[in-house]
Amino acid sequence: MKTKRNDNRAYLYLAPAMLLAGLFCWFPAIRGFIQSFFTVSHSGDVLGFAGLSNYRTLFSDKAFTNSVGNTLRFALFFVPLNTFLTLLAASLTRRKSRLSFIPEYIFFVPVAVSLSAYSLLFREMFRGSASVINRIFGTDLGWITTSGGAMATLVILGVFLDFGIDYILLMCAFRTIDRNVIEAARMDGAGGWRLFFQIELPQIRETFLATLFLAVKDAILISAPIIILTEGGPYRSTETIMFYYYVEAFRSGNRAVQNSLTAIVMTLAAIAFAIMGAKRRDR
Amino acid sequence: MIRTRKDQIKFILRKIILLALAVVVAFPIFYMFSSSLFSARDFNKVRLLPAKAVFANYARVLSHRYFATYIFNSVGTSVLAAMIRTLVTIFAAFALTHLHFRGRKLIMGALVLTLFVPQEAILYQNYRTVAALGLLDTWTGIICTSLFSAAQLVLVMGSFLAQDRSYYDASRIDGASDMRYVFSVLVPLSGPAIMTVAIQTLITTFNSYLWPLLVTNRMATRTVQTGVTMMGFAESGETGAQMAALVLMTAPFMLVLAFTKKRIENALIRR
Repeated sequence: MKTKRNDNRAYLYLAPAMLLAGLFCWFPAIRGFIQSFFTVSHSGDVLGFAGLSNYRTLFSDKAFTNSVGNTLRFALFFVPLNTFLTLLAASLTRRKSRLSFIPEYIFFVPVAVSLSAYSLLFREMFRGSASVINRIFGTDLGWITTSGGAMATLVILGVFLDFGIDYILLMCAFRTIDRNVIEAARMDGAGGWRLFFQIELPQIRETFLATLFLAVKDAILISAPIIILTEGGPYRSTETIMFYYYVEAFRSGNRAVQNSLTAIVMTLAAIAFAIMGAKRRDR
Repeated sequence: MIRTRKDQIKFILRKIILLALAVVVAFPIFYMFSSSLFSARDFNKVRLLPAKAVFANYARVLSHRYFATYIFNSVGTSVLAAMIRTLVTIFAAFALTHLHFRGRKLIMGALVLTLFVPQEAILYQNYRTVAALGLLDTWTGIICTSLFSAAQLVLVMGSFLAQDRSYYDASRIDGASDMRYVFSVLVPLSGPAIMTVAIQTLITTFNSYLWPLLVTNRMATRTVQTGVTMMGFAESGETGAQMAALVLMTAPFMLVLAFTKKRIENALIRR
C-alpha cells in the first residue's frame, strides 16, 4: 500500500537537529568562508571587501608555511603507523576464543582515556632524558625537549588517541564476515597470509577505508594534544596547521588568517567529500 | 585438524606479537595507575612500581579546592549532552526513515553533510555565536556544539530502517501515536544502536578538551579535562597528584567500557 502522504509533523521532529546543525555548523562554516574575502576588525565587525588579500597574508606568514610542513610530516608518520598497528591488533584478535576478551579489552580501553589524560601522561613519560621511557629502553633521548623527539612523541601519542576506536571498528568488521566465505576459501586450500589478504581484507574494505579516512582527517586537524604536550615547541617544530589556527584566532586575534584558514579547511573537506562520493558511484 | 610443526610455530609467533602489542598499548595506563602511588622519591629514581605505595596523592587531589567542582561539571554536562543528543537523533532518524514529507532528501543531505565540516575549523565562529548568546561559562555553552552528530544519525537511521515497517503501520491503525510507537517499539528494537549513541556521547563530551577550554574562563565552570591541566600539580612538582587526578577521571570509564563492551560490539557487528 503506497499512498502519497505528507506528514507535516516530520518537520517538528526534525526541528531540533536542523536548528543545531544550522546554528553550529552551516552558519559558522558559511560565514567564515564569506568573511575570508573581507577585512574583519579585531572585534569581528566587517570593514570592507578584501579580495584575496587575507589569503596573501596567510601564505606569506612563515609560521603558516612552517605549520603546513609540520602537519604533513606528522601525517606521513602517523597515518601508516596507526593503520598498521590497529590492523595488526584487529587481525590478531579477529577469531573469538575463550580468553580473547582480555586482549580485546586492552586494545579497546584507550577509548576511555581522554585526550588530556593521555597528553599529560605522555608529557611525563617522555619528559626528557630522565624519563621512564628512556629508562625502559636504556636510551638517553631528549624526547619532547628536542625538535625530532617532540614530533616522534606526538606521533606516538596520536596513535594511542585513535587506537581504541579504530581497533573496535576493524575487529568488529572482521567478525562480520560471513563464516561460510572463510570456510569455503579454506576448503580450496587458502590459508594464513593468502586467506587474510585475498579473502578477509577485501571483505572489510569499507571499514578499513573509513578508519584510514579518519586517520588522515585527524592528522590534518590535530591541535589539542599539542596545546598540552609541547605548546608547538621546541622552536615551532610541532606547530601544526590547526594549532597555528588556534593561536592566531584565540591568542593573537588575527581575523584575516583565521577566516581564510576556515575557508581552506572547508574547501579541502568539500574536495574529500566529492572524491568519496565519486568513489561510491563507481561501484 | 592436524597441526604441523610449522603451524605451531606460526601460532606461537602470533601469540608473542599479540602479547607484545598488548603490553605496549596497556603500558601508559599501567604507568598512570602505578605512578599515582609514587612518592616524590620514586619519580626522581624513575621507577616502574612504587617502592612503597602511598595514597597521599589521592588525598591531595580530593582535597583540591576545585576538583569536585570539575567532576560535577563534567558529569553534569556529559549526562545532559548524552540525553539530549540521543533524543535529537531518535526524533530526526524516525522522521527521516518513517515519514513522507516534502524536502526529505534535502534535509537529510543538509544534516548528513555536516559530517564533512570539521568542528576544529569553525571553532572561532562558534565561539562568537556562543559569546553573542551569552552562553560563555555555562553548561549550555559547553554542550551546545555537540548536541547533534551526523555520524550517529546515520547509525540510528540504519538501525531504524532494519526494523519491520509493518509494525509502524499496525500501530497507526491501532491509533497509537508516533511517540508511543517510537518509544515502546522502535527504540527497544534498536537497543544496541541507541546504547552506542548514548555511551559514545557520554564519553566524547566528558573527554572533550578544546571547546570547554575556550568557552569557560572561571575555575568554577571548568570541566575536569581542562581543569586537570591547570591544577598546578605539574608546576609545583607534585606529579603523583597529577597522576592520581588522571586515574580518578579515567577509571570510571574503564569500568563502563568493561560492562558495555559486549553491547557496543553487538551494535557494530552486522549479521
